[in-house]
Amino acid sequence: MSTVIETSGLGKAYRRTWALRDCTLAIPEGHVVGLVGPNGAGKTTLLRLATGQLTPTRGTISVLGARPAASPAQLARVGFVEQDTPVYARLRVADHLRLGAWLNPGWDGELAQRRIGQLGLDPRQRAGSLSGGQRAQLALTLALAKRPELLLLDEPVASLDPLARRDFLRGLMEAVAEHATSVVLSSHLIADLERVCDYLIVLVASQVRIAGEVSALLAVHRRLSGPRRDPGTLPAGQDVIEESHTDKQSTLLVRTGLVRTGGPVHDPAWTVTPVSLEELVLAYLNPANDIPARRPRLGVAS
Amino acid sequence: MIRLSWLQFRTQAVTAAAALAAFAVLLAVTGPHLASRYAASGLSSCHGGNCGTAVHTFLSQLAVTSPYPIVYLLGIALVLIAPAIIGIFWGAPLIARELETRTFALAWNQSITRTRWLAVKLTLTGLAAMAVTEALSLMYGWWVDPIGKAINLGTTGDLANPFAGGRFSSLIFATGGITPLGYAAFAFTLGTAAGALIRRTVPAMALTLVIFAAVQVAMPLWVRPHLIPPDRTIAMIGPVPGDDQAVGLDYGNLTAISVPGQPGAWIISSGAISAAGQQISALPFACAGYGAKAQDPGQCLTSQGYREAISYEPASRYWPLQWIETGIFLGLALGLAGSCFWRLNRRRS
Repeated sequence: MSTVIETSGLGKAYRRTWALRDCTLAIPEGHVVGLVGPNGAGKTTLLRLATGQLTPTRGTISVLGARPAASPAQLARVGFVEQDTPVYARLRVADHLRLGAWLNPGWDGELAQRRIGQLGLDPRQRAGSLSGGQRAQLALTLALAKRPELLLLDEPVASLDPLARRDFLRGLMEAVAEHATSVVLSSHLIADLERVCDYLIVLVASQVRIAGEVSALLAVHRRLSGPRRDPGTLPAGQDVIEESHTDKQSTLLVRTGLVRTGGPVHDPAWTVTPVSLEELVLAYLNPANDIPARRPRLGVAS
Repeated sequence: MIRLSWLQFRTQAVTAAAALAAFAVLLAVTGPHLASRYAASGLSSCHGGNCGTAVHTFLSQLAVTSPYPIVYLLGIALVLIAPAIIGIFWGAPLIARELETRTFALAWNQSITRTRWLAVKLTLTGLAAMAVTEALSLMYGWWVDPIGKAINLGTTGDLANPFAGGRFSSLIFATGGITPLGYAAFAFTLGTAAGALIRRTVPAMALTLVIFAAVQVAMPLWVRPHLIPPDRTIAMIGPVPGDDQAVGLDYGNLTAISVPGQPGAWIISSGAISAAGQQISALPFACAGYGAKAQDPGQCLTSQGYREAISYEPASRYWPLQWIETGIFLGLALGLAGSCFWRLNRRRS
C-alpha cells in the first residue's frame, strides 16, 4: 500500500523552540485521517510541512512520494484548506472560482459551480461578506475543484457553529466519496472526527502517540473494571494506557496484544467493555498517561 | 497568474489612472497658456546679454500669476512623491497583506510555485509603477518646458520664487529624464521587500516611507555630485551677469552663478581663492563696499588677485548622469526583488 504522507525524524524549530520534533509516521492512502492533538502539539506545523509552506529543520517528509510543493505538478496533487479558511475579502465568490480555474490545470469548473449552487452562494457576493461557514465552504470548494489526490485541512471547522460544521463535513465526505480522495484533517473536536475519520493519529507534544485505523484501534482497546488491584498483575501482552482507582475499584484502559472480539477474558472478576473513540483519544491525549513504548502500527505501511 | 494579478491590482490601477487623468487635465488646461506667454516674452529670439533681463522679467511675472507657481510646485511634488506613494500602497501590501490575512495559504496552494506567483506580481505591478511615474514626469516635462528653457538661458541674480533651478538642481533632476523609472522601481521593490521582511502591512509602509525619503535626500546631497568626477576650472571674476570669459558671483557667499564658456553647467562647488590659493568665504573688507567709495565687488576682487575656483559637471553630462542614477536604482530594485524571492523560498512560514 502506498502512502500519502511519509515522514522520518521530521522536526521543525522556530528559533529555538521545537514545534514538531522527531515525528515519524506513514499515512496510507485512501483514508480520511484525523489528526488529533491539544493546541501546540504540532498539528498545524505538520500540515504546513506537508504543503511545503514550511521546510523541515530536521528529517524528511514526502507527500505522494515527492517533496512538498516542489513543482506546479506536485502542487496540483495536493489541496489545502488553511485554518480559519482565509479567502480574498475583496474578491467576489465568482472571482475565486476564476482564479482557481486560471491557476489549476486540473480544475473541475463543473464541480465548483455545482457546489456553489448547492450551497446557495451568490457568485457576485464579495468573499469578505460571507459568513464563517460560507467562507469555509468556499475555501473547501476551491480545494476540491482542484481535484487533488490528497486534501489537507487544518482545523477547518474549529470556528464554525454546529450546523455549519455538520454541513461542511457532509460536503467534504460527499466529495471524498465521489473522487476517492485521501484526506488528512486536523481537529480537536473528537465528535467530528468520529463522524468522518477512519484513521486516527494522536499527536501530543510534537510526538505521535498512536496512529492506526479507527476500527483496528477500537478492536484492541478495552476498558476493564473490577475490584481494586495493581495493574502490574495483568497478564503479559496487555498495556495499561490509563488507570483510575477508587478504594474498592480499579478501571483500566488497556491495549491488548491480540484482537479479541468481546466476551469476558483474562479474569472473570473483570468487566470488559469496548471503548468509544472519544475515550480512546482522551486517554492518549492525557499527558499524565505514560504510553508504553510498543505502539500498534496497525494498518500502517512499514 | 497574470489574470489573478490583474484582478487583485485592478483597484489600484484604476486609482492611478484617475490620478494621472486629473493631472493631465490640469496640465492640458494651463500648459498652452504658459507656452503662449513664453512665445510672447521674446525669449526664443534673445541672445547674449538681453536674455538675462528677459528671463528675469518672464519668470518674475510668472511667479505672481496664478496658477503657474502652484502647478509648477505641484508637478515637482507629484513626480517626486509618486514613487513613495507607489512603494507604500502597491509595494508594502503586495506580500505583507497576503501574510497578514493568511490568504497566501490560498494563493500558494494553487498549482503554481510561489516563485512564479511573485515573479508575475512583481513584474506586472513594477512595470505599472514605472509607467505611471514616467508618464507623470513626461506630462510635467511637457508643461514645464518653457520655464526650463528660460532658466537654461540664464538669469540675473536669484531665480524668482518658487522656481527651483535648472535641470541639474536637486529637486528638478529627479523629476525629468529617465530617473523617475529608477525611483519608481526602487520604491516599489523597497515596499515589497519591507513587507516580506516585516510581514505586516502598516509597519512596512512606514519603513518604506522612511527609507525612501532618506534615499531621496541623500542622493542629491551626497551621491549624485560624485557619480562622475566633476571638472574643475579657475576663472576670472567678472561683473554680474558674467560673460564667456569671466564668472559672475553671488556676493553673499562668493559662489559662482555660472561657468564661463559652459552654459547650463551644474556647479557642484565654488569659492573665491586668493592669489596664494587661500579660500575666502565672504567679501574681504576692502571690497565689502562699506563706506563711501562704491566699487563693483567683482572688479575689486579681481584687482585684489582673487579668482573663482569652480568644480562643475558640463551640461553634456546630463544624460550620462541620468543613466547612472537610473541604473543605480534599477540595480537596487533588482536586489530588493531578489531578496523577496529569497524570503519567500527560504524562510517559509
